[in-house]
Amino acid sequence: MEIFIQLILNSLIAGSIYALIALGFNLIFGVVKFFDLGYGAMIVIGAYATFYFTKIIGLNIFLAAALGVLSAGVVGLLVNRFVYQNLRKKKASNMVLLIASLGVFTVLQAVTAILFSSQFKTLSQSVTANVYNIFGGIVTQTQIVIFICAVVIMIALTVMLNKTKFGKAVKAIGDDEEVAKIVGINTNKIIAGVFFIGSAIAGLAGILIGFDTGIEPTMGLKLILKGVIASIIGGIGNVYGGVLGALFLGFVENFGIWKLSGEWKDAIAFVVLILFLLFRPRGIFKK
Amino acid sequence: MDYFIHLGILFAIYVILGAGLNLLVGYTGLLSVTHAAFYGIGAYTTAILLTQTGFGFFSSVILGIFVTMITAFLVGIVLSKFKDDYYALASLGFNIIVFSAFLNWQDLTKGPLGIPGISRPELFGFSFSSNISYFVLAILFAGLIYFISKFIINSSFGRVLKAIREDEKAIQVFGYNTQFYKLAIFVISAGMASVAGSLFASYITFIDPSSFYIIESIFILTIIIIGGLANMRGVLLGALFLILLPEALRFVGFPSDIAAQMRQVVYGLILVLLMLYRPKGFLGEYDL
Repeated sequence: MEIFIQLILNSLIAGSIYALIALGFNLIFGVVKFFDLGYGAMIVIGAYATFYFTKIIGLNIFLAAALGVLSAGVVGLLVNRFVYQNLRKKKASNMVLLIASLGVFTVLQAVTAILFSSQFKTLSQSVTANVYNIFGGIVTQTQIVIFICAVVIMIALTVMLNKTKFGKAVKAIGDDEEVAKIVGINTNKIIAGVFFIGSAIAGLAGILIGFDTGIEPTMGLKLILKGVIASIIGGIGNVYGGVLGALFLGFVENFGIWKLSGEWKDAIAFVVLILFLLFRPRGIFKK
Repeated sequence: MDYFIHLGILFAIYVILGAGLNLLVGYTGLLSVTHAAFYGIGAYTTAILLTQTGFGFFSSVILGIFVTMITAFLVGIVLSKFKDDYYALASLGFNIIVFSAFLNWQDLTKGPLGIPGISRPELFGFSFSSNISYFVLAILFAGLIYFISKFIINSSFGRVLKAIREDEKAIQVFGYNTQFYKLAIFVISAGMASVAGSLFASYITFIDPSSFYIIESIFILTIIIIGGLANMRGVLLGALFLILLPEALRFVGFPSDIAAQMRQVVYGLILVLLMLYRPKGFLGEYDL
């Protein structure tokens, strides 16, 4: 029974991480409609910027985390401005955009590794973690923060998308960029905003992972792929669906390795992806 | 000198990998990111047969092709249902699943420890144990694959592939079963990757799963994108370029761990710049 509760908690935590990644990814996908793998690098940049500000400069941890989130957002903004915006102007195909984003990802990951070395690092400052006992299962303080962050970001995005002018413009571009342009929406500016917010969320996810387990420059690829899978399960481009997809993925992975070895986690995730692409390509809630 | 021979052998292996992938990505327009999986299946088949059974290298190559093609057939049935970026994503998924199998099917693959002590090929009492003889062997294989690829491209079968790339619906109207063609070229391309895998395993004499992860698939994809999609000479150019680039970086004088990352920076930058200014690659004939 205890292992059962622990598995549920683990699934929830993994699901929350994936949810954060999927939230930003879906936000971006909603307006650009291609698989932006470069997004994976923003996870890494957020984490390493925070590492830099807290461990090397010695800033307060919250300030460092805020700067980390900001750095990820700014890098996302720059990549959009200098790469994707030009490609959009040329009406590049999705595959061209996908490969360009792969290039972006490779460059940013390698630059991070050059600056900070490829070694595994952790952001947390104390060796012992504060743990809490919930119905016999154990979670750390960091993991509770992860869960809260996921919930807060989801609510904030919902409010932003539904209640603000910016959010409505984002939805309009998602429906049809050309029409949005015609009715006077400055699409480049809105898309830039989306890249900033989405990348900042990725950065936050990276920072939280850094406190929970640790960081290495290569962590981005696996995480962005999980984010993509979660998004596809939930219905790609659907911000709330992505959260459900993320929870689903968290549960399937963690319960999947109940009987199998933990090394199979990634394979399980991709089997789920392929099953969904085959039988439910539009996600759980077929639109 | 020995070092140039080493680079030459790697060149031959990547020409084989690039040629097969170009048939799929360049000529048929299917963006596959799973080539390293088939490369790996070929390598593991040869490694296991040579270390645990009495099989010789050449029969292991044949068997490797066979095993790989059967796997590719099953994978291809699923993949041929997808298009464009979804095809890329699903194929990438298969690469990760196959990689997990290499890593976790420990009875067969010894997992992360890898398989050491793979022997060099022997033919009629002649052993390809020297690097120069192995180089000749690898070049012969590469030449063979290269000309088979050219033959496929110039055949009527190849023309259908190009037609699928340009407009799949149109060619379906003419009564071609495009699913069959897509599946067939996927299986052929996988078989070619298997040959490269066998050559790699027997040359390095040690393999472990890390050589067959998606990074390797992306590397092979980079070769053909840089050289040029749907151009066979582009494969040669791309393979040559990407094999010589690390040497050039070493020549500049970066320490080895930084040089490895610098290489990634250059690969990535080239990809981005090509997509921005020349999405068909240097010699390419087809825009993604």
